[in-house]
Amino acid sequence: MSLELKEISDFLKQHHPFDLLPDDVIEALPKRLTARYFRKGTKVLSPEQQCLHLHIIRTGGTETRDPDGQLLARLGEGECFGVRAMFRNGKAANNITMLEDSLVYLLPEKDFHDLAGKYPQFNYFFEQMGGARLRSGMQLLEKRDDDQLKLMSIRVSDLIARDLVSIDIGASILEAGKLMSSERVSCLLITQNGDEVAGIMTDRDLRNRVVAEARSFDEPVTNIMTPNPISIGPDDYAFDALLTMTRNNVRHLPVMKDGKAIGVITTNNLLARQSLSAVHMVGRIRKMTRPADMAKVIAQIPELLSNLIEAGATSRNAGHIVTTLSDAATSRLLQLAEEKFGPPPVPYVWMAGGSQGRQEQTALSDQDNCLILDDAYDPEQHGDYFKSLADFVCDGLDTVGYIYCPGEMMAKTDEWRQPVRVWQQYFNKWIEQPEPKALMLCSVWFDLRVIHGTRSIFEDLHRMIVTKAKGNRIFLAYMVGNALTHHVPLGFFKNFVMIRGGEHDRTLDMKHNGVVPIVDIARIHALANGIDVVNTYERLEAAMAFPSISKQGASDLLDAFEFISITRLKHQVRQIRDGDRPDNFLHPESLSAFERTHLKDAFSVIKNLQAALESAFGKSGT
Amino acid sequence: MGLRQKIIDSDFYRQMVQRRATGPLRAYYDIPAADPDTPVRDVEFVALDLETTGLDPKQDEIVSIGLVIIRRLEVDFSSCQHLLVRPKKELSESSVIVHRIFDTDVEQAPDIEIALAHILPILAGRVLVAHHAPIELGFLGHACKRYFGAPLQMPTVDTLVLALRDLHRQGQPMKPGALKLETLRHTHNLPPYRIHNALSDAIAASGLFLAQIAKRDPKGELELRRVLR
Repeated sequence: MSLELKEISDFLKQHHPFDLLPDDVIEALPKRLTARYFRKGTKVLSPEQQCLHLHIIRTGGTETRDPDGQLLARLGEGECFGVRAMFRNGKAANNITMLEDSLVYLLPEKDFHDLAGKYPQFNYFFEQMGGARLRSGMQLLEKRDDDQLKLMSIRVSDLIARDLVSIDIGASILEAGKLMSSERVSCLLITQNGDEVAGIMTDRDLRNRVVAEARSFDEPVTNIMTPNPISIGPDDYAFDALLTMTRNNVRHLPVMKDGKAIGVITTNNLLARQSLSAVHMVGRIRKMTRPADMAKVIAQIPELLSNLIEAGATSRNAGHIVTTLSDAATSRLLQLAEEKFGPPPVPYVWMAGGSQGRQEQTALSDQDNCLILDDAYDPEQHGDYFKSLADFVCDGLDTVGYIYCPGEMMAKTDEWRQPVRVWQQYFNKWIEQPEPKALMLCSVWFDLRVIHGTRSIFEDLHRMIVTKAKGNRIFLAYMVGNALTHHVPLGFFKNFVMIRGGEHDRTLDMKHNGVVPIVDIARIHALANGIDVVNTYERLEAAMAFPSISKQGASDLLDAFEFISITRLKHQVRQIRDGDRPDNFLHPESLSAFERTHLKDAFSVIKNLQAALESAFGKSGT
Repeated sequence: MGLRQKIIDSDFYRQMVQRRATGPLRAYYDIPAADPDTPVRDVEFVALDLETTGLDPKQDEIVSIGLVIIRRLEVDFSSCQHLLVRPKKELSESSVIVHRIFDTDVEQAPDIEIALAHILPILAGRVLVAHHAPIELGFLGHACKRYFGAPLQMPTVDTLVLALRDLHRQGQPMKPGALKLETLRHTHNLPPYRIHNALSDAIAASGLFLAQIAKRDPKGELELRRVLR
């Protein structure tokens, strides 16, 4: 291939899903292309307009709107439009308008379908885009289905983990149950005439059709089995297996070859393929007895996060999943502590605060937690027990990978290991006599969530906090004043204002200037309206019902939060891949022009809602 | 526009010179030139760039030709051509440094006569697009005259001239380097090219040309005459 066109094929290679094509195919591709240039503002496609090419953006960006004018997507360099037309006989589905002066490569429809026919991964990517209903611009922008792609490339035969366990059709329920137990399997094939499959029986059948119906164990298995079960072939894709299971609501599929069963695959087989799945990790933590072992599982969080992001998870999903793991480690450590020091002398509840409380943890997390003890607590008698318990868990978490809170907001600190009455005094003081120092504590202690112990201990306290904070204008005004100290890094002309000098020269602090301001705004609206959830997304969703924030404002802020959080996560994932320690400092140049524009939009949303906050609750004290 | 250029671009001149043309150049002239009143989107263009051993068409020689066709205001990458040309004289050191084309590279290459015979049918009926076209027209014209009896008359869009008109219209003082192909591509949000040779420069000029047309009329309905040099 000539050197000049290599420039074009190199460009394609850098972008999904062209990177999935074999080298020789991608190198021949430029010869199939033409290039067009569109001025900013040009309407390139409109619904039902003829579109006989897949459009690949070389430079610039576009906006996709549905026929009703609803924004569906913003696309940038390396992304494609006119995709749906490829699946609708060359008729465009949406409006495409150029947001910038753009150079666009055009791949003829026929070549597109040739590639899609030959390379399933390539086809799958576009089918998802073209076929699925596009929900929001952001989702489309982030759309990656690598997990599914993996399932697309694995054959069912690769998933059969062990030899087939089967029993003859003449067996009784008891015999079948015993075999399942001794073989440690969750399903059994019922065969006749040697290896002919007559039916399938699962542990669910034992529960639902035997125990629940009080059936005799001596009855033949034929009475409870599912005859002629749905099956799958060894050469089918794992993805098809998953689809078949979901569609038929079954968890086991016999694998049949030439009319004979050669094995069974279960949903577990499919999940095990994603060895880093969070569920699996939680399961492992629950079985561990030493913090050092848990540390090995927790050390996989960056990898998990990177898989999640690549698979197209939202930051809301990712935060939830990652937090589940620290919850699991915390609960497990508490169980171990109770085994070690004996049962608690008075009831207690272990609370997580900060990002763990809000279920918004990332690759970088320290611990924020506290202990609330029943009012029967007597420091003389019970002090040592809870001190040991808290030390055990906090030290354990530190070993596991959740470093000590720099502000010492941990149950390990005496101040944060107190009975309900003391906590009531704390909250009373913070709400009734707000002072700047206390406000810092509020950002951790107003985001509490129960992790382990007697839930009801917290519930009364929580009710008091929510009621008290709701009616207190002065407190709210203080919170607003505090929230406004986090400036959004945007200058007068909407340019980024970056950190100057030092270790993080010319970067944006995505945590303190992006995430924290939104978390603060959401907290204030929640406290002001008596909303008792702590997750930022949930708070904003709930706040929509109240007049303190406009519906549009809340929904813009939700979008901004997702975009800023996912950009930060992606930055961290990139650092993890490059072997660097993840941080919150982003160089704007590492973003595409389109992402930069979007990020500026997100920051200006924050700026607007900070201003709205001030007019809704006033600003005072600072 | 100078009087000389006006004459050279005129129909009258074309009719005069084409009578003397022989061989492939005769066939070139048999196909009528694009009508200047045609909307640009209906005109076919060929973006072309040459690499030469120097700047004087009388002394220096063409060492490579790159071209790509533009139809309906789309650059057609399947039409890309990149020809090396064997010069009559040995390559001088300075031109080797500029183009990285060595004697050994061009040993097997056709000489200019054969190369012209190959590209003239591609040029016929189309409009030339080049960045600073006097070089391309000068060298091709000189070679045509020498081997096929007559100069090459071809309607031409010079992207440098279009850029100059844009800058004059904006009335801004010109910065040094403002008319360089790379700079102009950058101002139109076109991607940079890492590789420089006749074909990549031809492709680069084709992209710039599309941008310049889009700026004047996104629909491409303006007449060819308004962008000719």
